[in-house]
Amino acid sequence: MLKFDSVYKKFPSGQIALENIDFTIENGEFIFIVGSSGAGKSTLLKLITRESIPSSGRIFFNTEDIMKIPKSKIPILRRRIGTVFQDFKLLLTKTVFENVALPLEVLSKKDTQIERLVSEVLDKVGLLDKANSFPLQLSGGEIQRTAIARAIVGKPEVLLADEPTGDLDPKNSEEIVKILEKINKEDNTIIIMATHNAQIVNHFKKRVIVLDKGKITKDEKEGKYETE
Amino acid sequence: MKRSKETLRLIRRSPYQAIAAIIAMTLTFFITSVFVVLLVGGQIVLRFIEQRPTISVFFKNDVTENKINEISDKIKTTGLARDVKYVTKEEALAIYKERFKDQPHVVELVSADFLPASLDIFVNKPQDVDEISKVIQNQDEISDIVYPKDVTKALTKWTKILRIGGLVLVSTLMIVSFLIIIMVAGMRIALRREEISIMNLVGATKWYISRPFFVEGVFYGVVGATLASFLTYAMLLFYSPNIQQFLGTIQVFPISPLFFIYLWLGEILTATTIGIIGVSISLYRYLRIK
Repeated sequence: MLKFDSVYKKFPSGQIALENIDFTIENGEFIFIVGSSGAGKSTLLKLITRESIPSSGRIFFNTEDIMKIPKSKIPILRRRIGTVFQDFKLLLTKTVFENVALPLEVLSKKDTQIERLVSEVLDKVGLLDKANSFPLQLSGGEIQRTAIARAIVGKPEVLLADEPTGDLDPKNSEEIVKILEKINKEDNTIIIMATHNAQIVNHFKKRVIVLDKGKITKDEKEGKYETE
Repeated sequence: MKRSKETLRLIRRSPYQAIAAIIAMTLTFFITSVFVVLLVGGQIVLRFIEQRPTISVFFKNDVTENKINEISDKIKTTGLARDVKYVTKEEALAIYKERFKDQPHVVELVSADFLPASLDIFVNKPQDVDEISKVIQNQDEISDIVYPKDVTKALTKWTKILRIGGLVLVSTLMIVSFLIIIMVAGMRIALRREEISIMNLVGATKWYISRPFFVEGVFYGVVGATLASFLTYAMLLFYSPNIQQFLGTIQVFPISPLFFIYLWLGEILTATTIGIIGVSISLYRYLRIK
């Protein structure tokens, strides 16, 4: 369970990024956070991973107040949350296998265990045959699937995906969301996907939270994203 | 083990920085070793000279043993002498023979009558020499007074200069090494900024991220200190005959291997401390993990 309780975020420049954010996400939910660029979608996701802290309000991960977690325990929080970044954040000098293995390496897992878990997730995202390729040898869709594989290899409770279909064509975009849906169903992982792709949102019929200038304007189950 | 391999990979990726760091460390600790050896050697020489009489008083040929004992008592009553030793003509001959044992033709020509009896005076403090001199100065029985005190004074002075000069030079070099380590670690961190940021986001602890940099700092310290100790040992081994010849009867060789082990361990400890503190500063300065 993830709960935002009257969250307010103001940047040092004085710009208000999020205002009075209140919502709860239950275990196993798949939600879209939608809104135009600058609506506050990425800021909201960064609050969940403690990359950023709210100016006021509280965020609960199950019963734990994320803001009360001591700095030294933040890595533990981040291991429970997988993130697919807008700019992928893959290491170009490492192979697909090595990129995906990174979250397990930081946990000092044994090589045999890493081998097994990485192969499992690469199979899940359909990239087993690309394990030894480098990111520059992959297509846009394959890069995004590598990023998803890295985000789920540590079996997180929550998966955050920030504009994962941003640079992809409609076919690949649908493919990516289908993979996220599969992860959501098979592993009961909470999926929070930030996007401004109305076509995808409307096709998958999930819960939709609409952000506009930092405020929630709509929160609907099987919602739609209507752009002007 | 895996992280050590990671450190070696880092070093291989930009070897010139690693070479610069190792050279700086080696040079610093080689010069430190040389100064330590000079200071320890200086102390041995000083101790040797201090054990020799501070003043030697030589008597004319016809002076009786009673008169010499009288003068000896006079010196002892001042309370300024640690010891006053009477060296008879025969004892003087024995010392002479020992000193010139390699030149039998010189020894052959000398008999006890040729050598004067003497008193070796060991003073408590070097500054008491003048006071004792006043007591013996105007005695008609005395033919000569020798003060090796100037050698001790000069040696003490030079040891002091060596200590201060060494301290200044070694401190400067240590600061240079320290700055080089900070720079090298800073460059390494900058090169891996993206990787570090990703590791941070996937849940790596600060220690996990910092560890390869610390291992690298320790590596430079250990390699630098070891090379320096080895160079010092090799240099001393090579020059020991010349040094011993220069020092004459003052025996400084062979130097105990324990001395080199302690020197090496001490330098490794200091060098790794420099490495660790340098890396810590770099990490604090360049690695701001949120």
